[in-house]
Amino acid sequence: MSVTQTHGTGVVERPGSVAEAAELLRGSTGPVVFRGAGTKQAWAGRPDQAALVVETGGLAQVLAHNPSDMTVAVGAGLPLRDLQTLLGGAGQWLALDPDTEAAGATVGGLLATGDSGPRRLRYGALRDLVIGVTLVLSDGLVARGGGTVIKNVAGYDLPKLLYGSLGTLGLVAEVVLRLHPLPSASATVTAPVPIGPAVDLALRLRASALEPAAVDWADVDGGLLAVRFEGTEDGVAARRPAVLDLLGAGAGWHTGSAEDDVWLRLVGERRAEDGTTVVGAGSRPSATADVARALVQAGEASGVRTRFASQPALGLHTARFDGAPAAVGSAVTDWRERVQAQGGTVLLRDRPAAVDGGLDALGPPPSSVSLLRDLHRRLDPQGRCAPGRLGSWLPSPTAGEDSAT
Amino acid sequence: MTTYTEEYRALVAQTGGGQVTEAFRREVAAAVGPGGLISEPAQLRTYECDGLTGYRVVPALVVLPVTTEEVAAVVRACARHRVPFVARGAGTGLSGGALPVADGIVIGLARMRAIRSVDVADQRAVVLPGVTNAEISAAVAQHDLYFAPDPSSQVVCTIGGNVAENSGGAHCLKYGFTTNHVLALTFVSPDGEVVTLGGDAPDQVGPDLRAVVLGSEGTLGIVTEVTVRLLRRPEAVRTLVADFPDPGSAGDAVSDIIAAGIIPAAVEMLDELAIEACEKAVQAGYTLGCPAALVVELDGVGAEVDEEFQRVQEICRANASTNIRIADDAGERARIWKGRKAAFAAMGRISPDYFVQDGVIPRTKLGSTLTRIREMSDAAGLRVANVFHAGDGNLHPLVLYNGAVAGEAERAEHLATAIVELCVEQGGSITGEHGVGSDKACSMTAMFGPEDLTVMARVRAAFDPQGICNPGKVLPTPRLCGERPGPYRPHPLEAAGLIERM
Ligand SMILES: Cc1cc2nc3c(=O)[nH]c(=O)nc-3n(C[C@H](O)[C@H](O)[C@H](O)COP(=O)(O)OP(=O)(O)OC[C@H]3O[C@@H](n4cnc5c(N)ncnc54)[C@H](O)[C@@H]3O)c2cc1C
Repeated sequence: MSVTQTHGTGVVERPGSVAEAAELLRGSTGPVVFRGAGTKQAWAGRPDQAALVVETGGLAQVLAHNPSDMTVAVGAGLPLRDLQTLLGGAGQWLALDPDTEAAGATVGGLLATGDSGPRRLRYGALRDLVIGVTLVLSDGLVARGGGTVIKNVAGYDLPKLLYGSLGTLGLVAEVVLRLHPLPSASATVTAPVPIGPAVDLALRLRASALEPAAVDWADVDGGLLAVRFEGTEDGVAARRPAVLDLLGAGAGWHTGSAEDDVWLRLVGERRAEDGTTVVGAGSRPSATADVARALVQAGEASGVRTRFASQPALGLHTARFDGAPAAVGSAVTDWRERVQAQGGTVLLRDRPAAVDGGLDALGPPPSSVSLLRDLHRRLDPQGRCAPGRLGSWLPSPTAGEDSAT
Repeated sequence: MTTYTEEYRALVAQTGGGQVTEAFRREVAAAVGPGGLISEPAQLRTYECDGLTGYRVVPALVVLPVTTEEVAAVVRACARHRVPFVARGAGTGLSGGALPVADGIVIGLARMRAIRSVDVADQRAVVLPGVTNAEISAAVAQHDLYFAPDPSSQVVCTIGGNVAENSGGAHCLKYGFTTNHVLALTFVSPDGEVVTLGGDAPDQVGPDLRAVVLGSEGTLGIVTEVTVRLLRRPEAVRTLVADFPDPGSAGDAVSDIIAAGIIPAAVEMLDELAIEACEKAVQAGYTLGCPAALVVELDGVGAEVDEEFQRVQEICRANASTNIRIADDAGERARIWKGRKAAFAAMGRISPDYFVQDGVIPRTKLGSTLTRIREMSDAAGLRVANVFHAGDGNLHPLVLYNGAVAGEAERAEHLATAIVELCVEQGGSITGEHGVGSDKACSMTAMFGPEDLTVMARVRAAFDPQGICNPGKVLPTPRLCGERPGPYRPHPLEAAGLIERM
């Protein structure tokens, strides 16, 4: 059953099935935003006032789990942590560890935002783990892409197209995923190093045959590098001498709850506190130190306090800005220009609303923007899906314009 | 139920419609350098088909550009004159994806074969589309790096073709497909615009356009440069061949290996006929007369591989394996793989003609599906050899026939189609790596419903509103495929017995 409540001026609906979601979209007009747990509603640009908010909480079932084929099909609104609990019983997991798992982030929302965690280094992103999807377009069309088997090249890869789409193409209603066995052993090595040497070590780890599952760095006590290994007991233990040797004096080997504490601490360094602006970025791994330096320069130029955290072996970074909103806006813009000059990308995450005043949320568009617009026009002809989310890249539809061609 | 929506019919009805006129010919000739244009009928005929030799169409012209700018200029001429074009790499595709279009041109990328740059620290390389798959790994081997996707055709097929087909290989169970190993593309859209999809960073902001081009079989535009991700060569590799008394036991062994939490780098199965053919062709040391052999390869950190390799052997023995052959060195391992990778071509040793089929089933349906294939083969009076990627359920049944016997080719084709539809019935796919192309466009309705196809047609129209980019491939043409709802069901997840309901 669908649940209706009004919220501000927009109507909040919670369809209980894909058919209901399609009915809802077909029978309505005006801007619509999709919401899972609501952990990333601020990412990228702020959408225009929505006439309709579609929550996926009613699409939260496990549709099918086949442990032997290591696949699972779920409603998009299923929180990742609930899925992991269920899969854990079968000795499996969805190999994804985003920071927002603890806050209830849903599978559909994670796909639509392209969020990932430290172990992406070993298992890839959700983009690499999604094998099928059911999509509901803003005109009520229901389409499946991909399938239910881990290998399949029939038709266009709609599941991966939706990765990072931020709700601009349609509603992710169901997701089919590839699973992994839970590793039987894990250990994390830490070393107190600043970002420069940390990047060197990350690149050396990648170039070694040690196969780290995650390499993470944050600005705690002058710098903390953490390297995680997963596998069999013997396999993890066998890496110990080589990695301790590589990381040098001060390196420590952690397992069990001490290991968990290391990772909780690192997650804390990426979290948005009240009033903080959090921005994600990506670059070539070897550009990480330059990206960090650019952040210091951008912060100093605008008189804003900044903090850097990174997964240097992946080239994924998190920056936090604290200061007066206008100054934060100019520091973010400055840093974005420097990162983009390196070939990198920048995505705004949580921030006080006031910061948006002095800031173009998306920045200059990529060379592919006209393809993006054409695709968007075809899939969301009325431009209903989160207009404003991709800012100037996908301008809001102008009334009266024939948008079908 | 209707098979196609009205919107779908209207969208796929766009197929260029322009003519290769003298003016067009001059524009194209001006766009490429000397030797870049082929118009001799005898030479044009060498482009009439790809690896699927049953379908042939001689193109009006073949263009061989050497730079992105030349490709873009040729495509712009096509767009102005509404002339259809078909991209072509090495022409090893097995689904007729590079089959020319009558009154259209072929844009061959084989002359774009430079490796632009190798970035060792960031483990990536920028290559032009005509570089072969194997050349990439060879070029970076000195740095202990390699390109993971390894189609059996890797010595010949191009990275452009791999991107277009989202090719896999024996090692994709653990390492994924081409789509998981491509960071960025330089792409010429069907109106001749040059754009970059993807980039230096792991993620771009907004929908993943790179991902939808990967595997689009040349229907969305032409790829003129590829940034590939390279992997560090694993510390240890261990390979074995285990013989089994029947395919069912071999299938059970695969399931037990996966259930033990082991993800092998590769698990391949060959049946008795496939072994016979391979041994005749390359003498790789497989046991003749053995009903089913598994090739299992593990790779990774030494201590871990040793531990899991022991487990794999125990599991094989527990499933009645009659013999286990362990590759002691790289030479022995290469021999085992040579046998496996030669399997398709080797069929020529035991049959005058054969169809290579490609379908996917959930791995747990292996035993029952092989039994069904055996029954169908008996009923049709045609031999079927099986060689496949057992770890991910990607079957390659090879339907053997003699084209000289009247009607046998048709029967064989019919059997091959019935087998792939059986895969869909089992909850699988009509293709795991060879693509849809022209061969299986009509089978798309077995897997996708009217609205699914409509959304795919919208995606295509967004890239190519004139319908000039490899028209007639991937999406079914109603006029040619007919109204054929096939075994499509509204929701495959709900098919009884397919997947356990919670
Ligand atoms: C013996 C044999 C074994 C094989 N084994 C495997 C295997 O193990 N795994 C596997 O996945 N495949 C396999 N294949 C199939 C085939 O080799 C792959 O599909 C390969 O990727 C095709 O590459 P190609 O360069 O030959 O492409 P072509 O056959 O020339 O073209 C294939 C498709 O790609 C398009 N295309 C080519 N280049 C471009 C470009 N630059 N931009 C846009 N579109 C382009 C074409 O239009 C066409 O649709 C095998 C084939 C043979 C003959």
